[in-house]
Amino acid sequence: MRLRHASLTALFGCLLITGCRKAEVTSYRVPKEAPPAMPGMGSTDMASTAVTTAQGHDLEWQAPSNWVAQPASAMRRGSYRITSNDGHSAELSITAFPGDVGGDLANINRWRDQLQLTPLSPAELPGAYTVTQTGEFDFKLVDLTNPDATEPQQTLAAFITFEGNTWFFKLTGAVGVVTAEKPAFLEFLKTVKGHVH
Amino acid sequence: MREYWKAFVDFFVSLRLTVALLALSIVLIFWATLAQVQLGVWGVQAKFFQTFFVLAKIPGTQIPVPVFPGGYFIGGLLLINLVAAHINRFKFTWRKAGIQLTHIGLIILLIGELLTGLWQEEYQMRLDEGETKNYSESYRDNELAIIDTTKANYDDVVAIPDSRLDRGAEIQYPKLPFRVVVRDYYPNAALQMRSQVPNAPESLATAGIGPRIATTPLPLTYKQNERNLAAAYVELIGPEGTLGTWLVSTQLLMPQSFEYAGRTWALSLRFARNYKPFSLKLIDFSHDVYAGTDIPKNFSSRIKLTTVDGQDDREVLIYMNNPLRYAGLTFYQAGFDNDDRTTVLQVVHNPSWVLPYISCGLMSIGLLLQFGLSLVGFNRKHRAAA
Repeated sequence: MRLRHASLTALFGCLLITGCRKAEVTSYRVPKEAPPAMPGMGSTDMASTAVTTAQGHDLEWQAPSNWVAQPASAMRRGSYRITSNDGHSAELSITAFPGDVGGDLANINRWRDQLQLTPLSPAELPGAYTVTQTGEFDFKLVDLTNPDATEPQQTLAAFITFEGNTWFFKLTGAVGVVTAEKPAFLEFLKTVKGHVH
Repeated sequence: MREYWKAFVDFFVSLRLTVALLALSIVLIFWATLAQVQLGVWGVQAKFFQTFFVLAKIPGTQIPVPVFPGGYFIGGLLLINLVAAHINRFKFTWRKAGIQLTHIGLIILLIGELLTGLWQEEYQMRLDEGETKNYSESYRDNELAIIDTTKANYDDVVAIPDSRLDRGAEIQYPKLPFRVVVRDYYPNAALQMRSQVPNAPESLATAGIGPRIATTPLPLTYKQNERNLAAAYVELIGPEGTLGTWLVSTQLLMPQSFEYAGRTWALSLRFARNYKPFSLKLIDFSHDVYAGTDIPKNFSSRIKLTTVDGQDDREVLIYMNNPLRYAGLTFYQAGFDNDDRTTVLQVVHNPSWVLPYISCGLMSIGLLLQFGLSLVGFNRKHRAAA
């Protein structure tokens, strides 16, 4: 009986200690860091990402020298940052997904939503983009701005279908920067070539 | 009261308890060895050894109940048993000095193992050539980082450990102007573009990239070379109502940003970070092979170590069996990646690393002393008989 008392006391003590561990929320301040790098596909200690992006041949392009290449990510085929002299910046993301990713209307309305613009109806779609021919591709081009926003942003997006995948070239950022870079962006689109292995 | 105390002491000093605990530990180790096939080494350590009780869920429910004593319980009682027996029973004599020294070594080994289990932290640091980092990342734990990125020079981070991200959990933190409500949490999940999964159920996400992605829960992996990639749906609720529900995942490497209360915020589920008061920059990674073959000869990372206060600013070379020991941390060369342009360092914090060495030294001296004294005694008797 006493033995049982003693063992129960020990058990109770252990249970109490077990119940005391709880992970806490923490907060701290850190210097700004560069965008994360893409884990290499040959890594032995990181599982590869399961996000389905486009398979098949890649496109190639030539970016202007003032566009600073950023590390790609699981979702991005390419990424560039453009910073103006006054410190404002814009970012170009290049992504590719299988299929039509919901269709032109859904894509354009998603970008409009990001700028707090009202969505377009299907009837308004034909006037929502222009087509820019670069020789190899016919890019659909969308130029969106919300002048009513407190910090007006502009999105310049071009997209094409290539081997069953939709490729998006989307430049977003401060209005001044995107407007200034629009000619360079259109020139950049001319450098986009289908790559055959 | 005295009788009760005596029964208490008798229980803890008894040899019967030692034998029972040793028998239990044999069963525990055998069970854990079999379970390692499914759980892997880390899972087994957590479930069987770094716990007071092995827990199992009641069939058909999610309620865990203890089913067997765990490593901490058996080891702890063995430690108490050994120390109590020494205090209560053993008297110091030179003849028994060897055996007592061996026991002290064993006690230190048990304490060392306990402290290692409690204090040891293992992280990794991935560095691309030219990259500088002042934090390492966990292998297994994740955190939901909510970052105020408004300021140009610094970020204010609130990190919520994944152990708090149960479905339905609500987290209110003074530095956040909104509540965080976990709508769902998957410890391992695959993400696919929604257009690829026509029958996917409607997404819980209403903001960020989430509405375009379908999330499929996956069973936990315990394989050494695989990693669980967690995902969660988190809703942020301010005083005036919901801000939206975001899908976060360790697979989405870019944080998702939004504006609220005049500030810019970023949201991401990432591998738990451990920041340091110093930074490491990878200057060069070398992967040498034996001439004319692909057989690896040496992996090394040339690193620049810099402290915030500028007291240290030097280059170090980390290679196999030559780790960097700095500020209580040990940085081992653990791997490489990205066509030899990225190094992977294992970062270990173990304040009790020296205890196993002391323990083995004491036990070796104790056994030598014990057998030496026996040998001398035997020789003396043998000579006297001759």
